[in-house]
Amino acid sequence: MRPSRRELMKWVTASGITLGISRLSLADTLGFLVHETLPGRGVSRPASGRVDGVAKATGAKLYASDFRAADLPGWPGETSHALLVRAADATHVYSGLDLERLGKLAPPSVVVTAADLERIGTRVPEFYTGDLFCPVGKTPLYLGQPVALLIFDTFDAFDRARLALREDNFLRFGAETGPVPGANYAAFRFTRVAGATPDAPDIYSPIQEGWISPGFLESSGRPIWQPLPVAKGGEYVKGATYGEDIRAALARKDPSILTLARDFETQSVDPMFLEPEAGLAWFDSASKDLKLVLGVQSPFEAGSAIAFLLGEAADAYKPSRIDAQFAYVGGGFGGRDHTPFPLYVALAAMFFPGRPVRLAHDRYQQFQGGIKRHPFKMHSEIGIDRATGKIVAFAADHVLDGGGLMNYSTSVAVVGATGATGIYDVPKVDVTTVAVHSRGVTAGSMRGYGTLQTMTALEVLVDEAAAALPLDPIEFRRRNALKVGGRTMTGNPYSVSVRTPEILDKLDRHAIWKRRAEEKARAPAGVLIGTGVACSMKDYGTGADCSLGTVSIDPEGRISIHSDAVEMGNGIGTALANRVALHLGSIADEVTVAQVDVFDALGLFTSGDAYLISQEEQDTAARDTGWVPAISSATSASIGAHVGTQAAAEAARVVFRFGLWPAALDLWGIAPNDPRSKQSDEAFWQDGYLVMSGLSPLPLKAIAAKAHARKGVTGAMAHAFSRWAWSQATFAIGDQEWTADIDALAIQLGSAAFTRLDRSAVAFPPADYNRIGTAFSSLCGTLVRVEIERATGVLRIAKAYSVLECGQVLVPEVVVGQAQGGFAMGVGYALLETLPPFEEGPGNGKWNLGQYLIARGSDLPLHDLEIEVLPPFSPKEPPKGMAEVVMIPIVPALLNAIFDATGHRFNALPVTQAMLKGVLA
Amino acid sequence: MTTLSLTINGRLYGPIDVRAELTMNDFLREVLGLTGTKFGCGAAQCLSCAVIVDGDDGTSHTKPTCVIPALSFNGKKIRTIEGHAINGELTALQKGFIEHFAFQCGYCTPGFLNEGQVFLERLERKPISRADLEKAIVEALDGHLCRCTGYVKYHQAVRDVILADPGRYLT
Repeated sequence: MRPSRRELMKWVTASGITLGISRLSLADTLGFLVHETLPGRGVSRPASGRVDGVAKATGAKLYASDFRAADLPGWPGETSHALLVRAADATHVYSGLDLERLGKLAPPSVVVTAADLERIGTRVPEFYTGDLFCPVGKTPLYLGQPVALLIFDTFDAFDRARLALREDNFLRFGAETGPVPGANYAAFRFTRVAGATPDAPDIYSPIQEGWISPGFLESSGRPIWQPLPVAKGGEYVKGATYGEDIRAALARKDPSILTLARDFETQSVDPMFLEPEAGLAWFDSASKDLKLVLGVQSPFEAGSAIAFLLGEAADAYKPSRIDAQFAYVGGGFGGRDHTPFPLYVALAAMFFPGRPVRLAHDRYQQFQGGIKRHPFKMHSEIGIDRATGKIVAFAADHVLDGGGLMNYSTSVAVVGATGATGIYDVPKVDVTTVAVHSRGVTAGSMRGYGTLQTMTALEVLVDEAAAALPLDPIEFRRRNALKVGGRTMTGNPYSVSVRTPEILDKLDRHAIWKRRAEEKARAPAGVLIGTGVACSMKDYGTGADCSLGTVSIDPEGRISIHSDAVEMGNGIGTALANRVALHLGSIADEVTVAQVDVFDALGLFTSGDAYLISQEEQDTAARDTGWVPAISSATSASIGAHVGTQAAAEAARVVFRFGLWPAALDLWGIAPNDPRSKQSDEAFWQDGYLVMSGLSPLPLKAIAAKAHARKGVTGAMAHAFSRWAWSQATFAIGDQEWTADIDALAIQLGSAAFTRLDRSAVAFPPADYNRIGTAFSSLCGTLVRVEIERATGVLRIAKAYSVLECGQVLVPEVVVGQAQGGFAMGVGYALLETLPPFEEGPGNGKWNLGQYLIARGSDLPLHDLEIEVLPPFSPKEPPKGMAEVVMIPIVPALLNAIFDATGHRFNALPVTQAMLKGVLA
Repeated sequence: MTTLSLTINGRLYGPIDVRAELTMNDFLREVLGLTGTKFGCGAAQCLSCAVIVDGDDGTSHTKPTCVIPALSFNGKKIRTIEGHAINGELTALQKGFIEHFAFQCGYCTPGFLNEGQVFLERLERKPISRADLEKAIVEALDGHLCRCTGYVKYHQAVRDVILADPGRYLT
């Protein structure tokens, strides 16, 4: 995710607001009574595989949907069940629910409505602003808005009711009002004018001038991109003037410049994670503890949101403590990041005190109420110098539909806009974006958000431009690729490796590309063959990313890791184990994830808002040791490898340097004044032994035992924060100073408790870095060859190749698996998946798989998909996020291949078999 | 209410009173607490809910449980993901899935494991040629939906289990 969320608008409209997710005031998200410790001590498992491999291959209870009250120690034995009733109408007044029709067999024990929330005094967290339930007498804000929560004592009653509700419409509606109007969520303009030479400062850029937003028409709420002076403030006028100059130049029809102006539309899709959202909660009215089992990508946020929801409720509805346990996630893809579902789980428990209540979507409800991907309408203009083949200017206008609640719409708009120039170095850019409100199902986070849409449009446009020049598409990309040190659209360079030339060379030399003409020529009668290429550069991280990690080793040499990152299939547990093993020489025996409650020893607190904070505020706050800009992040934005493992890796370094290394010196008999005692960097692990040239290798177990005997550092707990650069702090460990890319540290000596070390110095990334669009990026290029049957429009992907770079690869199999999965999701997005807007769409509650198509095995080149991962640029290159970038070029590569095969350029997704048949008829 | 008796993973359950409309998926997950079998779509489209039904003739097949009444399994013998490993010893296919990193989130794994196991057992009874193997794997697994993996490693895992013991599965 990104600097945006709800805060971004405030940044623009009311800078300096102090708010934020502070340490939970009502309750800590305490206690994972049921640790999902994997692989678990003593569990036999194959020599290789994920740390959660055995559990997942044997059907262990792992997911939130697996748990019932009887599974949880200390909970009552019986589980009650709740049903969230949603409106399939957002243009008529909701007048109530006809529950009598459920009959005597399935009466709900409790019905929770908007009136009940009003009565007990709940508050809606700002991120989810909008009624949690549509009140009687109002038109639902959006299709699929909940109207009531029905709670049933027994499963049988619940089961009867849900079947009855599926069969019949129990909701009553009155007068037609049309859709409820709502303000659009955000509008921005990103304009950059480069200096005369690459080294010269930009003439105008968002980094220099700040981000700008236009004014809005009061009548329609639409942004006013021009005439210019109407906008609020001079800042907008300045940027927009440059922007309009760029557009005017593009419109000038200079014969030396090839200009293309094209429209492109993308569709709404569902993340379609296999496990529908589910949760379990129990409010113990005696102790006033609210206990929950949830499966989300953002545990800290979910706990905070529930605490806010109930923080000022009437006494009987206000827990004194919230104990949330976060389970493994059955697929996420962004759709479980900041979802309102946990709020309803909590409400179910609060309104049925004493009884554990389970709330679980079925697939119809998941389609109806789950977060969707934003559909985009884009207009793009590109100008290219015919003589040099270099892009001279790019302008675009994006309109994205955020549906009925804001959620991540602002962020998606920003990410899409700032990614709209893809891999290219463009000296003049002007991109406007507006995230609009509608009555559709809420759109939010989903894999590659914003950029999937805008980079698809760009890569298709570039393909057409290259053909028009004419210039080989890969050569065109080579000439225009952003180089190391080149500036992105916001005016900053990437601060990580940029390897576009290597990726393009790989694509250029691949057999799929080299043989494209030959393959096209040998197409059998009735079949069209085409080859497509695309290359995308995708940000990872959000600009305010946190990592919490603890690493400890026992006297037997067994390693434990605890982390706040969420396992949703991304292999974070395995990545943690592997990254820690680089420092400690062995794969962990225990890895727990999705934990936010086991880091109390760090004494962390926060204030302000990481995205909005001024430099002065940050400098003042930083004087308090223990203050950090933010405490815990969602597992999203491809941050798993880069961010999710950072704190644990740094903790492992401390354990090695101040625990294992001194112990090893002791075992080797090397005195402190021996020069070799300073050469810890030269030691390395091999097969569980610490090897140092000229000395006997030492087994980890012996070193660990010695470290404990010496009461050296046997555990470390760390917090790290990144705002496009890591925080860095210095700590005194023993008699030495230790500086690392962390901002809080606690250590364990021998078997003692963890003790926080006060930092003696700290440098948080400058507050100005919040103006950066992104500074972290990884790259993926894709080639596909398609075969299309002329008579039927049936498309087969004959061969495909994706090449990517992601720095240090922590778990090669996981990286390749993500790339294969990204390929499949890209195919679905390009060719299969679509959700119509509004009444015909998922908000009507009638959508399910079968009607909604995702890629199956037979849709994919299972044995002809080649994934190549470049080795790290240098041995010290850290891991880079890659789970999103691997999906993006698939889509434009397919469209470009379809053009190559058919001669037809599609400008909307998905390109279905029927559409292909239509143009080939 | 009607009574239901069946054998799951070699253990006899029942007679248990169940409603006629109770699905097998809810019977497994809500009544018995056997949540290894997943609920994905409730429309027999994703097959994360599929279990193995063992016939009296020695053949087996998979069946979705999310739309099928529990009562239709009366007297049947079924296997679920919880029943593959015996005394903690993983099957070759379970090991194959793990070693190949076949799954990611793992929610679809029970269905793939059951389908893959049925496929292996079918090949044991009626081996196929090496040349037909990849196509046969695609046909066997194709109804199962996975959103994470792109299916490649599932297919590779099944293939490699077979190729590791060709005398058992191939002509």
